Amino acid sequence: MQLDPVTIQILWSRLITIVDEAATGLMRTAYTPSVKEYHDFCCALFDTNAQMLSHSTVTTAGFLGIVPEVMRNFLKKHPPESLKPGDAIITNDPWIASGHLIDISIASPIFHRDKIVGYTLCIVHHLDMGGRMSTLESKDMYEEGLKIPILKLFTEGTLDQTIFEFIKANIRVPDKVLGDLRAQLVANNVCTRGLKNLLDEYKLDGLEELGAEVIHRTESSLRKKISALPNGSYKNNVLLPKIPGCEDEIRINAEITVIDDEVIIDYSGSSGEVGAAINCSYNMTRSYSSYPIKLALDPYIPNNDGGLRPIKVIAPEGTVVNSRPPAATWGRTMISHLFPEIVFAAMENIMPDTILASNGGSPANEVYLHGRHTDGRSFMAIAQHSGGFGASAQYDGYSCLCFPNNTRNIPIEVTENEARMYYTHKELLPDSGGPGFNRGGLGQKVEFCILDGNKEFAHDVESSVRLSGRTEDGTFPVFGRCGGGNGRGSGMWANGETVDHGIYRRLSPNDKIQFILSGGGGYGDALQRETARVLEDVVQGYVSIENAKKDYGVVINPNVLEVDIQATELLRKKMA
Amino acid sequence: MSRYRLGIDIGGTFTDFSLVDAISGEVRVEKMLTSSSAPEKTVIQGVDLLSETIPNMLTEAKEVIHATTLITNVILERKGSKTGLLTTEGFTDILEIAREVRYDIFDMFIRLPEPMVPRNLRLGAEERILASGMVLNPLNEASVRKAAEIFREADVEAVAVAFLHSYQNSSNEIRAGEILKSELPNVILSLSHEVHPEPKEYERTSTTVIDAYVKGIAEGYLDQLSEGLKSRGYRNRLFVMLSNGGTATVETAKSVPVQIVESGPAAGVEAASYFGRLMNIDPMLSFDMGGTTAKLCIIENGRAARTRTYEVDRVHRFKMGSGLPAAVPVYDLLEIGAGGGSIARVNDLGLMQVGPDSSGSDPGPASYGLNGQEPTVTDADLLLGYLNPDYFLGGQMRLDRDAAERAIRNTLSEKTGLTPIEAAAGVHEIVNENMASAARVYVAEKGQAPSKLSLVAFGGAGPVHALGLARKLGCPKVIVPPFSGVMSSLGLLAAPVAFERSRTIRQILRNVDLTKIHEFYRELEQEARSLMPEGSELLVRRTVDLRYSGQDYPLEIDIEEPTVNEKLKTDWEGSFEAEYNELYGKVDDENPIELASIRVYVSQPMPHLDIAKPTATTDAEPKAVRDVYVSSETGTATVPVYERTDLCIGQLIMGPAIVEERESTTVIGDGDKLTVNNRGCLEIDLAKSSTNTKESDDQSINSYIGES
Repeated sequence: MQLDPVTIQILWSRLITIVDEAATGLMRTAYTPSVKEYHDFCCALFDTNAQMLSHSTVTTAGFLGIVPEVMRNFLKKHPPESLKPGDAIITNDPWIASGHLIDISIASPIFHRDKIVGYTLCIVHHLDMGGRMSTLESKDMYEEGLKIPILKLFTEGTLDQTIFEFIKANIRVPDKVLGDLRAQLVANNVCTRGLKNLLDEYKLDGLEELGAEVIHRTESSLRKKISALPNGSYKNNVLLPKIPGCEDEIRINAEITVIDDEVIIDYSGSSGEVGAAINCSYNMTRSYSSYPIKLALDPYIPNNDGGLRPIKVIAPEGTVVNSRPPAATWGRTMISHLFPEIVFAAMENIMPDTILASNGGSPANEVYLHGRHTDGRSFMAIAQHSGGFGASAQYDGYSCLCFPNNTRNIPIEVTENEARMYYTHKELLPDSGGPGFNRGGLGQKVEFCILDGNKEFAHDVESSVRLSGRTEDGTFPVFGRCGGGNGRGSGMWANGETVDHGIYRRLSPNDKIQFILSGGGGYGDALQRETARVLEDVVQGYVSIENAKKDYGVVINPNVLEVDIQATELLRKKMA
Repeated sequence: MSRYRLGIDIGGTFTDFSLVDAISGEVRVEKMLTSSSAPEKTVIQGVDLLSETIPNMLTEAKEVIHATTLITNVILERKGSKTGLLTTEGFTDILEIAREVRYDIFDMFIRLPEPMVPRNLRLGAEERILASGMVLNPLNEASVRKAAEIFREADVEAVAVAFLHSYQNSSNEIRAGEILKSELPNVILSLSHEVHPEPKEYERTSTTVIDAYVKGIAEGYLDQLSEGLKSRGYRNRLFVMLSNGGTATVETAKSVPVQIVESGPAAGVEAASYFGRLMNIDPMLSFDMGGTTAKLCIIENGRAARTRTYEVDRVHRFKMGSGLPAAVPVYDLLEIGAGGGSIARVNDLGLMQVGPDSSGSDPGPASYGLNGQEPTVTDADLLLGYLNPDYFLGGQMRLDRDAAERAIRNTLSEKTGLTPIEAAAGVHEIVNENMASAARVYVAEKGQAPSKLSLVAFGGAGPVHALGLARKLGCPKVIVPPFSGVMSSLGLLAAPVAFERSRTIRQILRNVDLTKIHEFYRELEQEARSLMPEGSELLVRRTVDLRYSGQDYPLEIDIEEPTVNEKLKTDWEGSFEAEYNELYGKVDDENPIELASIRVYVSQPMPHLDIAKPTATTDAEPKAVRDVYVSSETGTATVPVYERTDLCIGQLIMGPAIVEERESTTVIGDGDKLTVNNRGCLEIDLAKSSTNTKESDDQSINSYIGES
């Protein structure tokens, strides 16, 4: 069958609809807020050559470069001829799959009329995989929990109970985790049904022709966009903030080379693996390095294998950006979430209109809470909060908007239902947005408190709060771009005392944790910002009268909230 | 004697009426321009007009059912009350922080809608309820009074109150409401536990704010409307259609108006479903184009999909998350700012652009002669010969062709150098393309192919644009039902009055006390019955919402009238598992099954509408010919014009042709083939060469196919 452009358009949309339906099935049958609310998962569909054709639109950016490799790795161990209908393959190996043990991948072959027509894969960030949980302190993988090698979880529709028993015996909240594993199977079932219906409806034997079209069109579209950039090499070498408990200094050296219709991102010269849980697998590095290229150049084409082909990522083995087993990896986003802005900074001069200033919440915040309810049941909860979005050539940054991973927050009311705690504060932090012609979004101040427990059970709560670690005066602040100021605000306190982020802390009832997520970086010269916009920021309480003066050179009369035009002109002249 | 059922649909431009005689099934319709300042007055005028032919209509009315797009328009045009928000102290930014997520993972430059309450009108009250419902901090009443003072100084007209966990314990919210009521007696209040008593603070707060924002306007006109009907002798309750096709009493609609945000479009969906069932059209794409907006909805297996993740004011039409959440059940339809009143202009790039803003009914299109200066889609349609200036609303309203031409010449021709006819053809084409490009994505997202959908067209402007839209989409067939110009009001009568009542249980099914459940069902049924119009024959449907304990989303399972026999539990579990496996495949979940809630639906039987079939026995001759713009190749040609009521069943007409009726006009293109079916619907098969033409589709390959 020769596919015409109209049919390709319809079928391509349909491939995306199918994985989005799978994602809906996953969310509807899942047990933990990290799937239902936080959306740290992906569902994908592959052709028989393990080329990824579509990827759920609800997902996080981290899976981008990972997903295609997971499927290929699965097929190396279980080649197509060894697979039967009803089989499902599982692993959480960080190097085979998505970079840390807490993510579990489950793939299924899709059989149609007695032959394999494709594969479906669902990866979920789970609540618990045992071990010492979510801390940056782990020195190697063995501390971080249970590792599941590539195994057949289902053989011809029959569950291997042994695998479930092993998992159950090693984790704290088995009902939820095993429930979520089943939800992953639901996703694969829904995807399988969707593809079979599509093939029936359009009387197709397989996906080869459609897949080739989808991938070719995506790849050539991105190549065309890259061709429009000037050839050349662009460097950015940075020293990252200190990781609590880790003595090593961590440098990332990035060189981005544009050659015709290809981009090469080379991390040679970056620091070696460290004995802290921040090491990236190669695929993780690839995900977040390719992401900014797609964002800046070709955002409207759906994601599939084709979009990765024009981008080459070089990362020497044994470095923190391409670690080897058994490096500790739990908090790998402490590094990988920075790749987009490292790439943007390098390319600031050649594509100033399509980059962002740094995000105040990157690397992403994660809060873990673990303890017992008053009735003795164990609980484990994840929460996440975002900092201010970076400003751009076009816009102010939005306040508290996630980048780059793009996970949703878990509502206060949901977390308080899951864990023995309550929030006392969660509001925007005025003056935290980096000043600029376009202002960075505001960050937020968050505070929570532990509720009384039951002394019969351990009534303390174990908690870790991971933050970006970036400070205004450090080596790696929340950068403004093209003349914009850096984002502001950072820190963490336990009962008022400054404490380290990213490590476990035992909290007793009434203990209070407070932390700040920075505002985003500004873009362009703050002295050029229209006075009316500065005034509106002051009226709405985003910027104080003092900072309007200090950062923007705008003098505002506090009694009537009006701009003093003369004083402003004078001051701006003086500051310029 | 209760005999009549009256449906009233107030749109942004027109108000439509349908009256059915419940005994004979006979239907009458009326259509009037909506008064933008006092829409309820238009209703009374229309009622008076209908009463001229049926003197005792209102005194003998069994029920009056109402739907409207006014509420949506208030939101879209940001014309609601100046609204303040009172939250738990320390959480005043919930509305702006929202879910902290980008609705498109690859777009760094997404736009989000402005929060409906600016930061300086979001205030905190000292209070705190825990997730368990326990009061951690009682309400500090002085903090509420202080907030009231600030609201007063800012001339706030409405206040939304949304405290954390108020769905568990509403005492602080209730007390804050009482204080605000006494401090600000004229201010409208919406309390979150009344509007949407469910967890997730952002969604509940947003829904409550939207409710407060539209409540003043909704209350005002619904009160006037009830009074007006009463003064004309109507003795029963006024009903309002909910956004999902269900029914609310006017009291409920007034107290939680966010529930009727989509009532007008829902009525249209009901009407389309009715004809779909009657004629076995499945699947179909209903296309309702009025003066202000166009609504499209896929109806499959006789029903339209519903959703609970509705959003108003989406910045990006198709992206979930780009609007403000209003957590009310609605039909899952596509709404586009494209209607007869959509304004055409030339933008800064020198390109012609149509909509999304509308001239509404005041001043309305230039041709209405109400001093509108800007050209609209209706003006273009008039100039192209599609509309008959002397037969608009059956001649009740004269259209001014010269005014239309003047408006197009002065604004569009002037800047583009096109002749008025060329410019008018451009306007018609652009508005069709706007609808088609939106519809393509909507249809694809629902996993449908346009080539399998029949387009069912209605609304005043629907049949004028249906063939053009179908051609662009690649739909093979267009169906224009009788009374298409007032279909939404007919939809109000096509759906039975139906009340849903539910009760949250949240217990492991095995542990549930069936005696209690039995009792709850009886209470819910009583409650629903008491709301129904008197003397109705009633149908009762009961369901259980079941899920594995720990999941959020239940499946709704139909059950028989429950007994107290424990075996019931195994039966329900069996039905749940069967449905779960059917939907999700067999995954052998081991968690216990939870009874999330129970529901009762009480409704009338499907109403009987006897829509008069064509009575003519011989093929009608054209009543006239006129100059009509056919296509860019043919240009303007002399085309036959038929009167719809003259057509006989089985009559065949080849396009180009025009079929006129009182409330609408069907424009049939070159080579399209029209047949009148035995229900009086116009069935039009599109000319073969014109559907799916390479040219139009290549242009239309929207969004993302890259060049190969």
